[in-house]
Amino acid sequence: MSGRSRRDFLKIAVAGAAGTALAPSLGRAADKSVTLLHESSFIKTFDEYMQKTLAPAYEKETGVKVVYELTSVGSLPTRISTITETGSGADVTMIFLLYPFLFADKLMDVSDIAEDIGKKQGGWYDAAKEAGIVNGQWKSIPHSNIGQLMNWRTDWFKEVGVTKFPDTWEELYEVGKKLKAKDHPFGFELGHGFGDNHGWIYPLLWSYGGREVEPDGKTVVIDSDETARAVDFARKFFKDTMLDDVLGWTDVSNNKAWFAEQISCTNNAESILWLAKRDFPDIAKVTDQAMNPQGPKGRFHLLNCIGHSVFNFSPQKQEAHDFLHWVMEEKQLGGWYASADTYYQPFLHAYDNAPMWDVEPRNKPYRDAMGSAHLPGWPAPPTRQLAEVVAKYVTVDMFAKACAGASTKEVIKNAEAQLKEIYRTA
Amino acid sequence: MVTGHTRLEQAVRVWLPVGFFLLLALFPFYWMAITSVKPNAELYNRNMMPLLVHNPTLKHYVGLLTETSFLLWTWNTLLVAVISTAISLVLGTMLAYPLARMRFAGAGLIAMTVAAIYLVPQPLLFLPLADVINRLDLGNTLTAVILTYPTMLVPFCAWLLIGYFKTVPKELEEAARIDGASRFQTMRRVFLPLCTPGFISAGIFAFTLSQNEFLYALIFLTKSSVRTVPVGVIAELIRGDVFYWGQLMAGALLGSIPVALIYSFFVEHYVAGLTSGSVKG
Repeated sequence: MSGRSRRDFLKIAVAGAAGTALAPSLGRAADKSVTLLHESSFIKTFDEYMQKTLAPAYEKETGVKVVYELTSVGSLPTRISTITETGSGADVTMIFLLYPFLFADKLMDVSDIAEDIGKKQGGWYDAAKEAGIVNGQWKSIPHSNIGQLMNWRTDWFKEVGVTKFPDTWEELYEVGKKLKAKDHPFGFELGHGFGDNHGWIYPLLWSYGGREVEPDGKTVVIDSDETARAVDFARKFFKDTMLDDVLGWTDVSNNKAWFAEQISCTNNAESILWLAKRDFPDIAKVTDQAMNPQGPKGRFHLLNCIGHSVFNFSPQKQEAHDFLHWVMEEKQLGGWYASADTYYQPFLHAYDNAPMWDVEPRNKPYRDAMGSAHLPGWPAPPTRQLAEVVAKYVTVDMFAKACAGASTKEVIKNAEAQLKEIYRTA
Repeated sequence: MVTGHTRLEQAVRVWLPVGFFLLLALFPFYWMAITSVKPNAELYNRNMMPLLVHNPTLKHYVGLLTETSFLLWTWNTLLVAVISTAISLVLGTMLAYPLARMRFAGAGLIAMTVAAIYLVPQPLLFLPLADVINRLDLGNTLTAVILTYPTMLVPFCAWLLIGYFKTVPKELEEAARIDGASRFQTMRRVFLPLCTPGFISAGIFAFTLSQNEFLYALIFLTKSSVRTVPVGVIAELIRGDVFYWGQLMAGALLGSIPVALIYSFFVEHYVAGLTSGSVKG
């Protein structure tokens, strides 16, 4: 008897639970809606502004409901791949770096929005065009740049007599040597993270005149005197100024080391200062930010563009297009930017002197850096091959192996072989 | 003296290794626990002993429970894990029984295939499964994962149960058949009750796999209200290059409680079951 009643209980429990689980799918609403897929923002108020202000306002104005679908950091490529492969899911997506080029055939031409918005809001930065235009068509509307710049400890730099951030890589190296001797080393990521490695490696390579591939997208030119000079510099920069474990760092490591007061300089987005102001006010007081140093061939920064694209197979593509156009209008966009202070740096000149830049003047270098920002792999055109080069950390590893002890000639030959293999199909 | 020597010997031969393995097993939980109650200033302070907490705080737990939908994610996780485990055990039994007990051509090949299917990696399956889920209009419902988890759990349960079923003596079934029971009655009234420990171990493993599953939950569940714990905590507690360590550890610790409870609740029954049910001579 008791065995039977247990089984009966189990049956009822399973049936009940299944009913609960199945219920939501049966009760779906059929109202008109647009789904915007976004990666969780570092700044919570940025997501909340869309959820609580923009989405309700758009629904009130047009009757179209906006579903703001958040996905975790790092999972956006998987989500976009799933949507494009299955042909269903969100209608508008956040998109970044080389993805507009990788998924171009699945994305709607939104040139009309770009032209209208550009005309009304002071024109686009060149970097926006580099990030959004694919074969003459805007496949994404650039929203903003998440710049990667120098973060430095003013109090420790002052200890070695430096009150202004060094202007060149060589000057920074000299300061770094003194700071390491005082147990305040630098910490620049050389591991396989997603941004803080490329954030300084590509600008360093470019500032010495090195490049991976020519603008023709075919000719591999990594093996050059300029690259060799950049690699040689990186080796001594690592050896004489940094912590040894940067070779295994990912993006979270330098933030952690900063708040542990382990390092005196790193390359990062605004997140270090932002979090310091919230949780570590004493560290915030002595944290400053600066543009990357310049090398013999100039000063460069990494373009870390985020934008929005409409899937061209979406059944609601016109509604999605109209929503994107509405969001990018000054009335909406200004408030959205302001909700995140300046963590997202606008690509439109109308915001160059917006009041948000005065909230934290230490963030201004992020605005000024956009004029010299380029996508990873520049000046090669963004292609599948370039995406593979970035995904395989070819250039990061070239520098990291040199820092770990390999010869300059060896690491460059190795990188060249990998690049030629990848570009064989170009 | 003799007693002292025996105690020392016992301590070296038994308690020392037990203590060592206990330390290994419990250290991650200890680390999660202390990280979850440390204020951020202490968490990042290199000058403080990392294995101790100097100024404990419940701030991270309060944040986890009030600023995120953690309790809802826990409910979703349990619901999904219980139902998909139940489905997988039923289907796994139906698959394992004939393969273990009945003789027919190709049984060995099918058993091998079951094991091979379990080894197919999820990244190969998520795109076609996403297509199926979208066609059924089940995206963003718990049903999506309740239906997809058995694709990995059924082969796993079947594979585990085949092994267990083979250890039950055939004589018991033959005796029941001689007494007039049909094959189904034999299976239901004699065979399956003897396999309770097998079901418990398969169930526990299936439950744990469902509870920890990440990829399908990430792809099929994007609304915060339908997320499971593994996806929810990562989506909301890792922002950019900043990890909310305190809340992440609080979530990991709380999320591991259901499995720990289930293990401790069934362990006695499980061990007792392993040693019973055999026939003499």
